[in-house]
Amino acid sequence: MEHYDVVVIGAGHAGIEAANISDKYGLKTALITKNYSDLGKLSCNPSIGGVGKTHIASEVDILGGVICKIGDKSAIHYRVLNLSKGPAVWGVRAQIDRDLYSQNMKKFIKSSKIELIEDEVINILEKNNKIIGVELSNTGKIKSKAVILTTGTFLNGKIYFGNESQEAGRIGNSSSKVLAKFINKNFKTMRLKTGTPPRIYAKSINYDVLEPQISENNDIFLSYFTKQNTNKKINCFITKTNNKTHKIIRDNLNKSAMYSGIIKSQGVRYCPSIEDKITKFGDRNGHNIFLEPEGLNSDVVYPNGISNSLDKKTQLKFLRSIKGLEKCEVDQFGYAVEYDSVDPRELKNNFETKKIENFFLAGQINGTTGYEEAAGQGIYAAIHAAIKIKKIKFSTKVFERDNSYIGVLVDDLTKLGVTEPYRMFTSRAENRLKLRTDNSYERFSTIINPKFLNKIEYSLISKNIINEEKILDQLKKLKYSPNDLMKKNIKVKKDGKVRNGFEVLKFLDPSKDKFEKFFNLSITQKLLTKIYFDSKYDVFYEREKKSYDQLNKNKNMNLTNIDFNKIPSLSKEILEKLNKYKPENLHDASKISGITPSALFQIVKHKKARGAKVA
Amino acid sequence: MFKSGTIYSNFTPLVKAPVIGYRISGEDVLNILKKITKKNFSRYHSLIRIVKLYQKDNSILDECSVVFFKSPKSFTGEDLCEIFLHGSPLIASQFEQLLKDLKIPGLRLAKNGEFSYRSVLNSKNSLKQAKAINEIISNESFSELEYNKKLLFEGDIVSGLIPLREEIINLFSEITASIDFVDDEDFNFKKMMKKTRKFFTNCNNLLHKNRTNIEQKNICKIMLIGQVNVGKSTLFNKIIDKDRAIVTNIKGTTRDILSNEFFFNSNQFEIYDTAGQRSKQGKIEKYGYKKAQKISNKIDHFFVLIDKNTKKSDISALLRDFTIHKNFSLIETKSDIYKYKTGNIKINHSLERDKIYKKLKLSSIHSKYVKNKHKKTNFNLEEMDFLRRILDYEHDIVNEKDILIIAQLMRNILDDFSFEFGYINNEDVYDRVFSKFCIGK
Ligand SMILES: Cc1cc2nc3c(=O)[nH]c(=O)nc-3n(C[C@H](O)[C@H](O)[C@H](O)COP(=O)(O)OP(=O)(O)OC[C@H]3O[C@@H](n4cnc5c(N)ncnc54)[C@H](O)[C@@H]3O)c2cc1C
Ligand SMILES: Nc1nc2c(ncn2[C@@H]2O[C@H](COP(=O)(O)OP(=O)(O)OP(=O)(O)O)[C@@H](O)[C@H]2O)c(=O)[nH]1
Ligand SMILES: [Mg+2]
Repeated sequence: MEHYDVVVIGAGHAGIEAANISDKYGLKTALITKNYSDLGKLSCNPSIGGVGKTHIASEVDILGGVICKIGDKSAIHYRVLNLSKGPAVWGVRAQIDRDLYSQNMKKFIKSSKIELIEDEVINILEKNNKIIGVELSNTGKIKSKAVILTTGTFLNGKIYFGNESQEAGRIGNSSSKVLAKFINKNFKTMRLKTGTPPRIYAKSINYDVLEPQISENNDIFLSYFTKQNTNKKINCFITKTNNKTHKIIRDNLNKSAMYSGIIKSQGVRYCPSIEDKITKFGDRNGHNIFLEPEGLNSDVVYPNGISNSLDKKTQLKFLRSIKGLEKCEVDQFGYAVEYDSVDPRELKNNFETKKIENFFLAGQINGTTGYEEAAGQGIYAAIHAAIKIKKIKFSTKVFERDNSYIGVLVDDLTKLGVTEPYRMFTSRAENRLKLRTDNSYERFSTIINPKFLNKIEYSLISKNIINEEKILDQLKKLKYSPNDLMKKNIKVKKDGKVRNGFEVLKFLDPSKDKFEKFFNLSITQKLLTKIYFDSKYDVFYEREKKSYDQLNKNKNMNLTNIDFNKIPSLSKEILEKLNKYKPENLHDASKISGITPSALFQIVKHKKARGAKVA
Repeated sequence: MFKSGTIYSNFTPLVKAPVIGYRISGEDVLNILKKITKKNFSRYHSLIRIVKLYQKDNSILDECSVVFFKSPKSFTGEDLCEIFLHGSPLIASQFEQLLKDLKIPGLRLAKNGEFSYRSVLNSKNSLKQAKAINEIISNESFSELEYNKKLLFEGDIVSGLIPLREEIINLFSEITASIDFVDDEDFNFKKMMKKTRKFFTNCNNLLHKNRTNIEQKNICKIMLIGQVNVGKSTLFNKIIDKDRAIVTNIKGTTRDILSNEFFFNSNQFEIYDTAGQRSKQGKIEKYGYKKAQKISNKIDHFFVLIDKNTKKSDISALLRDFTIHKNFSLIETKSDIYKYKTGNIKINHSLERDKIYKKLKLSSIHSKYVKNKHKKTNFNLEEMDFLRRILDYEHDIVNEKDILIIAQLMRNILDDFSFEFGYINNEDVYDRVFSKFCIGK
């Protein structure tokens, strides 16, 4: 029987990152997937990145992950969202050639030492609540010290077109029912829902009447290490739904799987189906649809914005009411998918299940949605698996929520659980100003390790860190009194305070010319942008750090053994919430929506009455 | 239940009065009642019983009414009783001695506010309500008193700040959406900033409106001035119905300034007795007289006391010393021994207190100086402080161009609201975002 250190189940975005990092740590790693052809498949839209998502992806990138690099290799259209705002919320979004991505991913896996196994996992093997291996449908049993489960939407997955339904993890892939039994037996699970739009043949679209969106080249890529992208670039196009479209949909709502009541599970509010948009937001001026080609050689277009679970006939009818799509032909109809996911509060902070030791879960199975969110979890789980079984040294402080989006995600999931598929937004991070893509190398600098990155990447980071230190040193040596600054046309308070160059930087703007003239120092634009915003946000870093430390003080008040029902004074709503979220400590309890200071006070009092020491 | 001994305290002042009330709260209440009344109260929840109190030697201390409230249906949530003694401070002190002599472990005099504190601990009141109780006790403004009562009797969240909380969540949601969901709707920075300025304007307006309401004290301040020996202290004692100021026939008896509160027709007054005027004042006397002059600008109305010995020039000297214009009444004292032929108010020390109140026209004086007393307010002082804290952000936010900094500062405001009115977490913000904007593709 084969013996592995780590077995990763599922070769989606979570699984690949997990296997990759485990391999880089020198662990003997197997990656099991049902279909070799599905390796690294983009189940839904052919794009990577966006606000919030790029942020996670860039952390995966710095940790040695592949999503950004392979994304850049396969990108055929770039945009940077939020460019008019500060870089803390810039979101690169790359349109990806599906086939290229898949090919590049396969090449990469082949080039590694990861052992790829094409088979279905039907059981997880454990003894005394500790992992011993997995059982495969054809290969039989294999042994492993740790198992990372990343099966996405496959557990009892069921897809719906109107009232037509079939069992599948996504179209064309059978769902994993046997494995689902094991999971449902051992863990608290919930049923979630997501959807995808129809795919349209490019040739059947009348582009002449539509407004194109051209790829913007800003020299900003997904990966910190990408220098250029030589792929041909394609255009996307924009069209809109109209009153006629809305009427068709409204008239046929009873055929929608979601609206007829067939699907009861919770969908994603920020990825609403077109049925949702029309019911909730009426006609507006029509809803935008972005027509995104699926690849350079693909004849299929992904119409972003109209995911639905209507019957096929209605789908075709409403599509053809849309400008440019009057004669469209459909390659694949839209559908909704319902699946089991595990309540992430079943996980410890390291993504190991509380019940079974060395059993890790990552990706959509934890109630998230999105490739980048899956990738972040994959790498996180694998790092912790490596810590656990190889006892490697790793400062997990980098994964605290004030230092990384991955930290925010982990904290949110394991503490609060989910009620709908979880997606990253920059606003989830209290420390947003600091958590930027242009400084992820800095935030992770304590753990960056030549094993994760190749030589060129590692030396690039080292070089950049050295350059930055040098320029900061020089800046900090320069001193300016308010008078000096007035002479240079910079308005500051006449507080008599002498400021150094770094402190003055925030009064300029991040233009290379101005900087070089003002300080008489040369700098690259990229570095200037970074230190300019560091200078500007410096006070907020300090403030955020303080309040974070403050909150952490309370963390010690343990609430795990408390029976909230025994506190007679708590209102019914508050009791419900506490029982639902089961906060581990006072700090977590205080973060639950609607929990009032007086409720917290009741809890403290209750603990106190039981002899707990309270600060 | 939170056990930390049984506490007692008087809840009326320990002065000569029709009754003096004591409250006892804690697990030993029934036991104590049994010992001092020889009766079992456990089945007499919330009923008034007239009983005798027995001292150690079985002699009767007093006959009084006792009400017992069974836990948890009491103010504190614990067993509690209220005892109404005959209003003599002497009886009260004997009563306290009686309790001490019982030597019940943990039985002690309550600390300041401890009854309210227990009521919070036992969830009879929220922290906010408990604060409201304390504030009611020290309220000087009627509108604030009304608000605190509302808070106390109707629960936690009638605050006038709730609409602002809604406003800031909506604003923050919009800013959040404009950052995280750029692609989905047209967000207009200028419009958002306009709304932001409006939010602060609303805060400001609320603050100003309520400041005038709240800071408008409902106390009317009256000062007694006049020549030495004219009878100021005598009138002072009469009005407050206590022997506070020393009265003698010696000129210059009162040296320092004295003050006391009193009520008449549920109007609240504060009255000041002062050192008398004369040409040869002693050192301390002079100092006291000066002190009175100093605070005279805070005084609403002066009673200028005169008698047969007072000359016209003395009156004008007084009016000058205290910079008095029209806010005074001339009062002729000792009308029992002196005959006056003027139209001034005449009083003497044998008149009934109520009669004096009337003669002095206290009601109309009060309404002359205390206006707006019944304007409604949804605020108390704490909430005003809160508003001021929020307004501290105004300058930085309104002058900021970086939307990320604006969002960060607004989050701080949200945190402040969270602390006072219950946590607002990301999900609450997203609820607004997704219900207001058509987000997502
Ligand atoms: C229909 C649909 C619509 C979506 N829409 C969106 C969207 O609009 N926006 C968005 O951000 N995200 C969307 N997603 C989510 C996104 O695709 C996923 O979040 C992401 O791909 C999850 O990655 P993962 O690694 O967790 O799982 P997946 O990428 O789903 O990979 C699961 C892998 O596990 C393997 N597997 C499953 N069961 C077994 C088994 N028993 N044995 C062996 N292998 C197994 C599968 O073969 C597969 O390779 C959508 C997903 C679907 C299916
Ligand atoms: N007969 C009579 N005697 C009075 C009356 N009021 C006060 N007296 C007497 O007048 C004397 C002085 O009274 P006070 O009240 O001490 O006078 P005062 O104005 O406070 O005096 P100073 O403190 O010295 O300024 C005392 O002996 C009082 O008993 C009154 O109405 N009738
Ligand atoms: Mg006197």
